[in-house]
Amino acid sequence: MKLFAGGHLVFFLPGRRSPVEVSLSSPAPLTVVLAELGIPLGEVNLAAVNGREVDVHEAVVGDEDMVNVISAVDGG
Amino acid sequence: MTIGKDVKILRVDLTKGSIEVQTLDDDFYRLYPGGKALAGYILLNELPPHTDPLSPENVLVIASGLMTGAPVSTATRYVVSARSPLTNAYGESEAGGFWGPELKQAGFEAIVVKGASPEPVYLSIKDGQVELRPADHLWGRTTHEVQEAIREELEDKKVRVLQIGIAGENMVRFAGLTNELRHFNGRNGMGAVMGSKKLRAVAVRGTLRYKEEAYDPETLSALGKKLARQVKEHPASWSLQQTGTPVLVEPLHNHGMLPTRNFRQGAFDGKDGLKWETYEEQIYTGNKSCYACAIRCKREVKVGGKPSPYGGPEFETVGAFGSDCGVSDIHAVAKANELCNAYMLDSISTGATIAFAMECFENGLIGPDDTDGIELRFGNAEAVVQMVEKIARRDGFGDLLAEGTLRAAQKIGWDAIQYAMQVKGQEMPMHEPRGKYNIGMSYAISEIGADHLVVAHDAALANEDSLSYQAAIPLGIRSAEPVLSLNEGKMHHFYVLERWGSFEKASGYCFFGPAPRSFIHPDDVLLSVNAATGWDVTIKDLLDIGERGTNMARIFNMREGFTRADDTLPERLFGGLENGKLAGMPFPRDDFQEALSNLYELKGWDRETGVPGRERLESLGMGWAADLLLAD
Repeated sequence: MKLFAGGHLVFFLPGRRSPVEVSLSSPAPLTVVLAELGIPLGEVNLAAVNGREVDVHEAVVGDEDMVNVISAVDGG
Repeated sequence: MTIGKDVKILRVDLTKGSIEVQTLDDDFYRLYPGGKALAGYILLNELPPHTDPLSPENVLVIASGLMTGAPVSTATRYVVSARSPLTNAYGESEAGGFWGPELKQAGFEAIVVKGASPEPVYLSIKDGQVELRPADHLWGRTTHEVQEAIREELEDKKVRVLQIGIAGENMVRFAGLTNELRHFNGRNGMGAVMGSKKLRAVAVRGTLRYKEEAYDPETLSALGKKLARQVKEHPASWSLQQTGTPVLVEPLHNHGMLPTRNFRQGAFDGKDGLKWETYEEQIYTGNKSCYACAIRCKREVKVGGKPSPYGGPEFETVGAFGSDCGVSDIHAVAKANELCNAYMLDSISTGATIAFAMECFENGLIGPDDTDGIELRFGNAEAVVQMVEKIARRDGFGDLLAEGTLRAAQKIGWDAIQYAMQVKGQEMPMHEPRGKYNIGMSYAISEIGADHLVVAHDAALANEDSLSYQAAIPLGIRSAEPVLSLNEGKMHHFYVLERWGSFEKASGYCFFGPAPRSFIHPDDVLLSVNAATGWDVTIKDLLDIGERGTNMARIFNMREGFTRADDTLPERLFGGLENGKLAGMPFPRDDFQEALSNLYELKGWDRETGVPGRERLESLGMGWAADLLLAD
């Protein structure tokens, strides 16, 4: 699975770099994947799997999926 | 100088050529401690209603804040205020950089400028020595040339120069000011006011040090060091350091909130040409900071292959000259930005005004005969760059656009007004209210016209598990609320955050410093104020300072004839976006009116008219303002 982090979520990724590759032997809840990567759910504002928006709490992802997660976007 | 005691301001009368120093009463200063609060008080008490903004009678206030110049990241800001020639309302624009701290180091909190000089002049301040100097030789030159010339003339390469450009000289209604060529008081046409007074620049050099004047320098210094470390440990400040604001392009596109083609669309098919990765690869050369700030969010770029002396475009500029004009060429955006800064135009209003003209052109309201032969169509990057030049010089069609979208629409006639994306005459920044409802409320209710820096944006308080929400609890935030809602909880958010934001503008803290937008916990903001002054104030006291600021600006506008009807949004926003994630979704008209009434009530204003009430004003220690309102 390839995960792209947007906004300030890159901060939480290993090496603070996006995207990251995650190897999944079987489908897993997105919440579990994010927890293992160290991305707090409270910071995720938008999630999409293969280009389609999903509920981060309900989504299940597999090894072939492309996942985007984006933080809240403020101004300035 | 001791922070908060015997505070001094300069009073300059350009008609008389006189300069006086005034010492503020300590108790007064605790209520109105610089920046927006001090400027609001002076304007409301010294500027007669209905003064022509471009006449000598307008009053220009340039004010640092209580914390400006403290050895604490993001405490760098100063405000420029006057009656705005763009909105005819309370005018205000903030900037960071180095000039505000330098003014403080020269021993002054603020400068109040009245009258107009018969010939161009600039003001030179070196510690206690202040003089007006001729500026005929600076008139008509770029900001870079003027900064170099003043430094050479004063034989001081470190003198900090705040100045207008030729746009201000030509009284373009959205001309701004710059300091150090990279930091901008862009909004509201304050540069036009300064130009009308023939004041080209204010050069400052000071030798005082904030820390040495603080009540508790050890605590302040320790806090400053702690916060400098925290910049890299908090995702919001770390992100600002890594990518600055231009990183917003792609997330906003993905959220369907990237203003595109004059706010018709929320997603931009050319966003890849503008996104941070493109910016970084093609024009980015490094980052710079404001005074003593560890974030270093400012971008440095090359333009036309050469390093630019003016800094790189912020997100607002990328949006305004990029997606809002349908332009996907980051090099053209960087060039337009450079011209704005060389001539000192507000890049938001400039880009938005060109986008307005493009829509008028594409709909046949104007044609090549009107636009000096320029094909003003969305996506024409060359036309954007040409128009920036023409606006600054008021050349040909640029003379009309130099008036801003509202006045230009009135002159073009037909239904051009529907393409003017403005509130109270000021063009909307590059944040889409249909995706952030409290930003819509900000645009509508802000005293200065559409403004994106009134409150932290909606998503910051939408999730109670987020860092931003948790940090906002000490401010009085009680519940997480949905982004797309104008319910009572959201209005409570607005009421709390507006006071906090107004306090930031009074104290000199940057929008990118304190939580919930960024990394400085409110308790640390409070600690910094008490360590600087020894005042022993509370967070409620800080919020009260902010509330005084918003009330004074509101009363200023009431005296100028503004009413509830002016607290609104362009009609386009009450219809749906053409594309993107939010396609078809309007800003909710009926909910908006109810929310506006609820917000008025929270602010202690009349629920129907929005007039500030005596009871709240007296509770804030400003019954005098209620008397003023009654007198008019």
